[in-house]
Amino acid sequence: MTARLGLPAVWCACLLGAGPAAAGQLRAPGPGAQPPIIEQVGTGRIERLERWLKATARHAPGEDDESLAEIAGWSNAWLKELWIDANALIQTTRSLTMNRLTVRPEGQRVGTQIRYASPQLHRLRVLACAAGGALVEAECTAMGAGDELDPELRTLAELSHAAKRRGDDNYTIRRGAILHADVAMLAPASMVAPGDVTRPTGGLERFRMEISDGQEIDLRQSAVHWELARMLLDFVRPRGKDRADPGHDEMVRQWYRATAAWMQLHEDHDKLHLDRARAIFPDDPDILFLSACQRETYAGLPIQAAVRSAILPTGVVLDVGSERVELRVAEAMFRRVLELRPGYGEARMRYGRVLGGLGKHAEAAVELRRAAGDLTDSQSLYYASLFLGAEEEALGNRDAARVAYEQAASLSPMAQSPLLALSQLARRYGDRNGALRAIERLFALRAEDREADDDPWWWYYVAQARDAEDLLETMWRPYRAERLQ
Amino acid sequence: MRRGLTTTIALALMLEASGGRAQQSPAFSSRIEAVRVDVLVTDNGQPVRGLKPGDFEVIDNGVPQVVDLVSFDEVPLNVILALDMSDSVAGDRLEQLRGAGGGVLAALKKGDQAALVSFSHVVQLGAGLTSDVASVQAALGDAQSSGQTALVDGTYAGIMVGESDAGRALLIVFSDGVDTSSWLRADAVLDAAKRADVVVYGVSVVSRLKPEFLRELTSLTGGRLFEIDKTANLASTFLGILDEFRHRYLVSYTPKGVAKDGWHKLDVRVRNRRAAIKARPGYLAGS
Repeated sequence: MTARLGLPAVWCACLLGAGPAAAGQLRAPGPGAQPPIIEQVGTGRIERLERWLKATARHAPGEDDESLAEIAGWSNAWLKELWIDANALIQTTRSLTMNRLTVRPEGQRVGTQIRYASPQLHRLRVLACAAGGALVEAECTAMGAGDELDPELRTLAELSHAAKRRGDDNYTIRRGAILHADVAMLAPASMVAPGDVTRPTGGLERFRMEISDGQEIDLRQSAVHWELARMLLDFVRPRGKDRADPGHDEMVRQWYRATAAWMQLHEDHDKLHLDRARAIFPDDPDILFLSACQRETYAGLPIQAAVRSAILPTGVVLDVGSERVELRVAEAMFRRVLELRPGYGEARMRYGRVLGGLGKHAEAAVELRRAAGDLTDSQSLYYASLFLGAEEEALGNRDAARVAYEQAASLSPMAQSPLLALSQLARRYGDRNGALRAIERLFALRAEDREADDDPWWWYYVAQARDAEDLLETMWRPYRAERLQ
Repeated sequence: MRRGLTTTIALALMLEASGGRAQQSPAFSSRIEAVRVDVLVTDNGQPVRGLKPGDFEVIDNGVPQVVDLVSFDEVPLNVILALDMSDSVAGDRLEQLRGAGGGVLAALKKGDQAALVSFSHVVQLGAGLTSDVASVQAALGDAQSSGQTALVDGTYAGIMVGESDAGRALLIVFSDGVDTSSWLRADAVLDAAKRADVVVYGVSVVSRLKPEFLRELTSLTGGRLFEIDKTANLASTFLGILDEFRHRYLVSYTPKGVAKDGWHKLDVRVRNRRAAIKARPGYLAGS
């Protein structure tokens, strides 16, 4: 946690609108237009798709291995093409004879039709036979797919087939999503894509703003690994279903929860990620909780300051509202979480803080008192006490505020915030000596004993994600064995 | 206070040594009902000297008051440095900040005291108010930059150091960034400043964000905000602040005919001459 404080935060900016399209690029359609067509799929793309397919099967989840390094080294232009071709591949695994392949990037209402040359389409189908574990099925045997695969791809086909026999027809999809998430998490340097941020071209483009201490320090194009992973998971067909339905798949749920928690722990914010998670799992309290926390974070000082100071290219907007707007969104989300899981103490504590931020002090105090009754860990109790102190103070309940702040101070004896609060509370009521005594307690904290993470308030905005590593481990574990060696 | 208007009762509270360095503890004092106002009087930008109590006209909540005493360049100062030691203050900037703080300390006179509050997200008392300037200088040399910025928290701590002694307090706040991690709210600290006899001068490095908190705080306490483009000349800015503060009058009066609590609007004028006046716009009584 300590290091996080000094690390720059990053969040994803969304592109609005579309600029002129270059040849061979995905073009955004105009209003009422037919889906645009990519006339040519460049040479080498299907070969890269094949390399990607092998990398998904070789990669050990959670490890910075050779497969991860290979994909991490791909340019964003290649990744954008992969987004199309992997999408087409998965569609083909579902329907091998499909001739008309259409893809639709997140945020676009109209799909784009992809036309492969005949040899490309044939190879795509052969790869789909392998990825889908379908070499023994009639269509694949008819085209002689098995004869066109190298030993590695044949082994991949067997692994996929074995998964299918166990009832999970999503081998490549899951492994692909894990691979791209791992690239984003384990090779963060690869997320910075070279490119001109001043002239966005439209289509699948993402930007990342790096901020430090509340100020923008860099704006770059972002590699589309998360977009690739999300796209793949949209195709997940749960056990016993004959169509894609990721909202009923536990691995997809775990993936979104774990990766969203990782993003929050690393202050690497991406609103689209949780927007998609909520679209798939609208009533999942864990996903909703992380969504609410994200919006609460967006209302906080560091991000609000960065938003106010940011200079963005034309056509690029930050997906961050004003403090009040973000708090109101967070309020609604936390309320829904508590409807779904009334005993969720940490959510109630944060709900109380958000209500206070919106000026609803009486409601906030009620929620914070109730939260304190549900909480058992000292860190969350510290937050509840500190925030309750602020709400009691706002309500004019001086003694109750003092008791709450003292409770927070006792829970985290090296924390400075409760001591500042006690001093300021006394000063506010004209008790100068009381104010001095409280600040003296802060000054008496010996410098050599103090640590950069002494005060849980300093990492409040990442504390909700403290279990991210455990969540990832749980999600990765089942996929460690079923891979190419 | 060593001379003047308030009674000091030293309480036996010690500021514990920070960083292993021995410090002189600030004396916590009680006060009589006198109101002190630091007033800068200039004519064409030059300080006006030689004014007597009768030259000042102080109007407290619309009621003219009788000025008891005026001091000029004779009351020792308590100079508190509250310095941003967040991540962004590193390398040359850190050296320039140390140099600027050191310059102020070197320019203090006999009887003056100094203190150092450093803040990143962590607020620390580097050195409590002391006439042992060398110990403050050493604390300044030891201060390292890292972490985020708790400007509001750090400023509050600086105000309270000023409040810990009845001396004439000048708080110089330097920050090159925006607040990203304070617990205290800006409005609460502005409220505390209204109750304190501390004049705040702010030095802020120009950025795309306006230093609204420092602007309001310096205005409220009768100080001034300097927005500088770079820190290369920070030393001259700091020395300029000290020089300006030394050329202020400390005007004192015992309020009569006004309420004993609440906000008191102050209007300070100089009789029978053209002059520019800079003083705090009011104070919160009963605190």
